[in-house]
Amino acid sequence: MVKTLLVGHVMTRICKFISMIALFFAFFVAHADASQKSFLDEIKGADATFDNRSVPVTKQVTEESVLAKEPYQGGSFRVLARKKMIGRYKCSSCHTEKPTTVNRGLELTHGDVYLTHGRGEQALSCIDCHRDEERDYLEDKKGRKIDFDHSYQLCGQCHFRQKRDWLGGAHGKRAENWAGDRVIFNCTTCHNPHSPRFEKRFPATYSVPLD
Amino acid sequence: MSEKKNHPKNDNPLDFLSGESNRRSFIKGLSFAAAAGSAALTAGCIPSADAATTEEMKLRWQEFFKEHYRLMTQEEKDGTVARLERLAKLQKGLDVQMSSQSPLEGVLYGYAFNITRCEGFMECVTACVEENNLDRKTNTQYIRIFEMEPGQLDPGTGDGQYYHEVPVDNKFYMGTQCFHCEKAPCIKACPTKATWREPDGIVVVDYDWCIGCRYCQAACPYYGRRFNWGQAEIPKDEITTRQHYLGNRLRPKGKMEKCTFCIQRTRKGRLPACVEACPTGARVFGNLLDPDSEIRYVLKHKKVFRMKEELGTDPKFWYFID
Repeated sequence: MVKTLLVGHVMTRICKFISMIALFFAFFVAHADASQKSFLDEIKGADATFDNRSVPVTKQVTEESVLAKEPYQGGSFRVLARKKMIGRYKCSSCHTEKPTTVNRGLELTHGDVYLTHGRGEQALSCIDCHRDEERDYLEDKKGRKIDFDHSYQLCGQCHFRQKRDWLGGAHGKRAENWAGDRVIFNCTTCHNPHSPRFEKRFPATYSVPLD
Repeated sequence: MSEKKNHPKNDNPLDFLSGESNRRSFIKGLSFAAAAGSAALTAGCIPSADAATTEEMKLRWQEFFKEHYRLMTQEEKDGTVARLERLAKLQKGLDVQMSSQSPLEGVLYGYAFNITRCEGFMECVTACVEENNLDRKTNTQYIRIFEMEPGQLDPGTGDGQYYHEVPVDNKFYMGTQCFHCEKAPCIKACPTKATWREPDGIVVVDYDWCIGCRYCQAACPYYGRRFNWGQAEIPKDEITTRQHYLGNRLRPKGKMEKCTFCIQRTRKGRLPACVEACPTGARVFGNLLDPDSEIRYVLKHKKVFRMKEELGTDPKFWYFID
């Protein structure tokens, strides 16, 4: 009688022990799962659209912009205008049939334009981008007429990788705000189309060693 | 044991000074009593004996006994902001617009840095210094730009003190700043809970609760934090007066400070000063929870990496290449 009781007691002890181990493992596994879930998963899972216009933006973009002719992630966006920045636009005010004198020649032949776009055999000339017949417009290789404000349509025919990144937001930059309407820099806001590479210069400041 | 619990207050003879049974208000009452009674004590705290009765002194007392920022009600936040604005006017003659704006709903800030595009012009650094009222005397900077040898990705191997014409051929440039880690070691290290992660992901410092122990600086694996050994010296006309309590307000001496993603700008929809100043577009900033944002495009379509990812700090700052 005593012996059977004792055996029963030991058995319950063993059962308890086993169940505790099982519980412990269950907890451990669950915990390991939780700790491996990164906040990156949370970001990837965040697919609800966020209304950028719902953010109260305090500083509006003051530069003039135009509605872009291409979509951005399904929506529309704006690019900074270019025509206002061109000192001698409209081009057709000079490019007429009217005769001119020789002493104005240097000014009128764009002697200040230094063209270093393209390298070696591929160096560009004026009419590679400018429309010969209508000087107020640009022209791509297919002969399409392109507005100065939408020069990305022209640049993108060679620099298609940059254009793809620019449309998505990995190349170029937004003006002023991360929220509100998407207004981004045009190609020509940063790059001089005649010599697009940034010039070498001294940095704006320098750093001192940390502590 | 139970007897002691029943009469904890009666043990202290000075208890009558505080109306509520609150430790902070008790100390406050005690200090006021001591200040009123002893001229020697006040002489150590204030510039002149006259000042004890001035508005400035009153405001400074109230500032000294305010709550931790996270425990403040909106009313108390408005109160401290108003006091700090008034103090700036009284002490420095500055018209400051300070804000205690809370985080935006559904926003988690993220940052990406294009190491192919950065050419080391360091205009981000000067913009940051101006925006965040950093000390001009010691040349404090939140951002560092390293000139890197090809094949290296650890800024420790780069040159952080270059000053020559950039970009140098066959080198690339890599910027560092506070990475606003999701699991930030600096937060764990702080003994006074003066630094924490805001709901929009920005790691901030309550400068008035920081005791300047610099544990967080030691804990940060990215050298993201800076200590000010003195009050910032800035020409008066260069001080940014649009400020945030947790951001670019003028820090007292002996406090820890760091990049706040320009909290005073970003919570109002603007870009951080460094992003706005970048001449090459190497810096991308946006809302990680918005699937249509630029930062999400970069994370989805570009080759990205984070610095010292193996530490598990989960920085919200990615490097990417074209």
